[in-house]
Amino acid sequence: MLEYHALAWVAWLTAAALPALLTRNPYYLALVILASLVTYLALDNRSPTGRSWGAFIKLGLILCAFSVPANALLVHYGDHVLFSLPADWPLIGGRITLEATLFGLASGLSLLAILLVFAVFSVAVPPAALLRLVPNFLHQAGVTVAIALAFVPQMIVSAQEIREAQQVRGHRFRGVRDLLPLFVPLLAGGLERAIQLAESMEARGFGHARFSSLSRRVLAARVASVMGLLGLAWGAFAYAYFPGQRLTGIAVLVGSTALLLISFWAMGKAVPRSHYRRWLWRRRDTALTLASGAVALLTLTLWLLDRPALMYYPYPPMAPWPPFRPEIGAAFVLLALPALLASGYRPATDGTRVLPISADRQDERPAEARRRPKEAS
Amino acid sequence: MIELDHVTYTYPALPGDGEPRPALCDLSLQVDEGEFLLVVGPSGSGKSTLLRCLNGLVPHFYGGTFRGRVRVGGRDPVAVGPRGMSDLVGFVFQDPEAQFVVDTVEDELAFAMENLGLPQALMRKRVEEVLDQLGLAPLRARRISTLSGGEKQRVAIAAVLTLQPRILVLDEPTSQLDPQAAEEVLVVLRQLNQDLGLTVVLSEHRLERVVQYADRVLALSYPGGPVRLGTPAEVLAAIGQTPPLITLGKKLGWQPLPLTIKDGRPFARALLQEVDRRSGEQTTPPEPRPAPAVAPLVSVRNLWFRYNGHEALRGVNLEVRPGEFVALMGRNGSGKTTLLKHLVGLLRPGQGEVLVAGLDTRRAPVEEVARRVGYVPQDPGSLLFAETLQEELAFTLRSHGLLNPQAWQGAEGLLRRLGLSDFARRDPRDLSGGERQRAALAAILVAEPEVILLDEPTRGLDYGQKETLADLLRRERARGRAVIMATHDVELAASCADRVVMLAEGEVVVDGPTRETMTESLVFSSQVNKLFRDPRFVTVEDVLSYVKN
Repeated sequence: MLEYHALAWVAWLTAAALPALLTRNPYYLALVILASLVTYLALDNRSPTGRSWGAFIKLGLILCAFSVPANALLVHYGDHVLFSLPADWPLIGGRITLEATLFGLASGLSLLAILLVFAVFSVAVPPAALLRLVPNFLHQAGVTVAIALAFVPQMIVSAQEIREAQQVRGHRFRGVRDLLPLFVPLLAGGLERAIQLAESMEARGFGHARFSSLSRRVLAARVASVMGLLGLAWGAFAYAYFPGQRLTGIAVLVGSTALLLISFWAMGKAVPRSHYRRWLWRRRDTALTLASGAVALLTLTLWLLDRPALMYYPYPPMAPWPPFRPEIGAAFVLLALPALLASGYRPATDGTRVLPISADRQDERPAEARRRPKEAS
Repeated sequence: MIELDHVTYTYPALPGDGEPRPALCDLSLQVDEGEFLLVVGPSGSGKSTLLRCLNGLVPHFYGGTFRGRVRVGGRDPVAVGPRGMSDLVGFVFQDPEAQFVVDTVEDELAFAMENLGLPQALMRKRVEEVLDQLGLAPLRARRISTLSGGEKQRVAIAAVLTLQPRILVLDEPTSQLDPQAAEEVLVVLRQLNQDLGLTVVLSEHRLERVVQYADRVLALSYPGGPVRLGTPAEVLAAIGQTPPLITLGKKLGWQPLPLTIKDGRPFARALLQEVDRRSGEQTTPPEPRPAPAVAPLVSVRNLWFRYNGHEALRGVNLEVRPGEFVALMGRNGSGKTTLLKHLVGLLRPGQGEVLVAGLDTRRAPVEEVARRVGYVPQDPGSLLFAETLQEELAFTLRSHGLLNPQAWQGAEGLLRRLGLSDFARRDPRDLSGGERQRAALAAILVAEPEVILLDEPTRGLDYGQKETLADLLRRERARGRAVIMATHDVELAASCADRVVMLAEGEVVVDGPTRETMTESLVFSSQVNKLFRDPRFVTVEDVLSYVKN
């Protein structure tokens, strides 16, 4: 397990996802994949999330391996002919070119890179930490989503039980009507569980509001948020359809965004909520965020100002071999930073999990060290 | 601390139903601070409803009409609602699976405090305290899904204790647990009550486990029916459905009525001497029903099975003949359910063989095995889907290709035998727990299987419902069926099984007649047997028949 602040991981995700999405250059993609893979392997990938992503990555590898011959066999375009298949073979007959093979490789690599980057992020940042990034006024919606996700594995288990029970009763699947014996018990059982969970949450004070929901302040915040949304729509409309009033449009957009943010903040204040886990920002979080910011900035700048540096298109009239600039390559290697900064720390994983937002350990230190936490390593 | 004054409550009417009857009827009650109150009564007597009044879930969560006055710790739950009561009343629910919000123990403990916006330093302190109080410190970083049932319920208790409530309310917290896990939870409750002076209100079906901890018992009968409130001995002497020890004590007129095995021991010793003196010499226990001299219906030979990388069954041998009733016992995870699934062909042997009604499960398709073997899963809800019970039975018959007028007559006879004739046109999901269990049984038995397999059939059933079920199963055995029942319920096994097979770590460790195995065991032994420690006395009926002679 690599311990970083969730926000540092968000910075990493941005920095890694940008090249994975924007470039098709196999050299750069290979570097992004390599860096993500190093990070992924350093993570606790034996957890359930880790295991399910492991399966996804295997699928990605297969797809990647498949896309090379598929593209080579189906696209018969390019100057560098490797060999030819008889022209009367349907679809695959014709010239097999180096260009098509390379393009297949680039597509496969880009898919794999995107998959890996998201795998790293979702294994590194547990749902609880993600939930905490959700602003306070959206907190209840966030919890609802988290619970819905937690319900899925339970539903799978009971679906299996129901299927077995009905099978033994002689149930066989022949048509849509036969779904009923499987579906009705699943739905009814899920509903019963949901009701009990709702009771349990309510009995523990979930949704406790500091102000009554009709207090003047909450009402004002709600009105302001509606006005903000309307303003956003109007500003976008003005910007898009009235070229003469672009400036007004922008001003309205900025104004209503500010209004929205303020109203969200005010509504968040009405939900009293504190956090149990101390969220530490350590030196390595700063390092990771800065490095990620630099990579993201570089990628964006190149994409906006010097697009050919990232572009790759093997077919004529371009050269089949992709360009490579060492400084760009070096930047993508930086994406392996999470694994490099915090190597050597791996707790046991027998169902135990230490959240990156850790409240333990820190309290043994003297108070002044706690106020300004520093990383010993 | 708690004060109910002429409370009457009616759940909202369901569309299509007539005027609903009240679930609580003119109930008045007073509970003092630090008291341990046990609430008992058959299913549907309003126990859950009463408990939910204490923190405002009734009427806030359910709606309906509420009359009367409630005061809990000086607050009115009807006015402030469950959220407003959350720091005063901690509520723990029946199902350990369905009351957790986040995925690790520590975060679950903090959840309620986070909702109230308590400062972080305070939360840290309280979480540590509660972890120590309930002995959960070693589990603090565990994922909740990896915990056992007993551990889960302890976490559920801990999760409400962090708000430092003065009252703990628990709605049948042990009904889904095996005996050891239930014990874990009850011991914790007793500690909290005695060491911290926490007021505890607990509803529970299996009285024998808790009655010695309670200061007072409240017995509900049915909505609007008589209500008894008093010391455990007073109330238990007056109500009908009691644990075997107390039933025996009442029948033999033991005074004061013993509530624990320890209290009952002197009476039992005297009775034993009396019986032995009267019959002159040590009588022998009744011969166990001889195993019928026919070919076995079920035969398992050297069965091995690997499951998720561990050996779930390790060389199991078992033979069951027609007309035999076998209780399959053992800890959770000892392989009981795995073995049952092998007997119906849902799982196939990794090694060894399973022959059921002449079919080899390695070769015969599940449908064919299932026509001869009925399997009732743990949760009756996973079977029932049709709109009426009749359709439910018709579905089973049709699936097995048995739907004909003769079978349909048999089905009606079956419903009569199970006491379900009145419910034939009702939605099986609207039935009560015990009725639902019987409906699932009917849906399986309608195909007239030769072997009946049951997985934990008594979970959540009260004494009366259990007795009905035991009668039914005994009758099926008398009709020549082989019954194999996986259960934790020692009393049920004592009252109807001929043989006990005990599994541990996937191996058969005990296989013998019920009387002998129970007398030799300390844990898996019925209350009456624990009292007498004599193979002649296993059930209340055994003792009574000796006394009459």
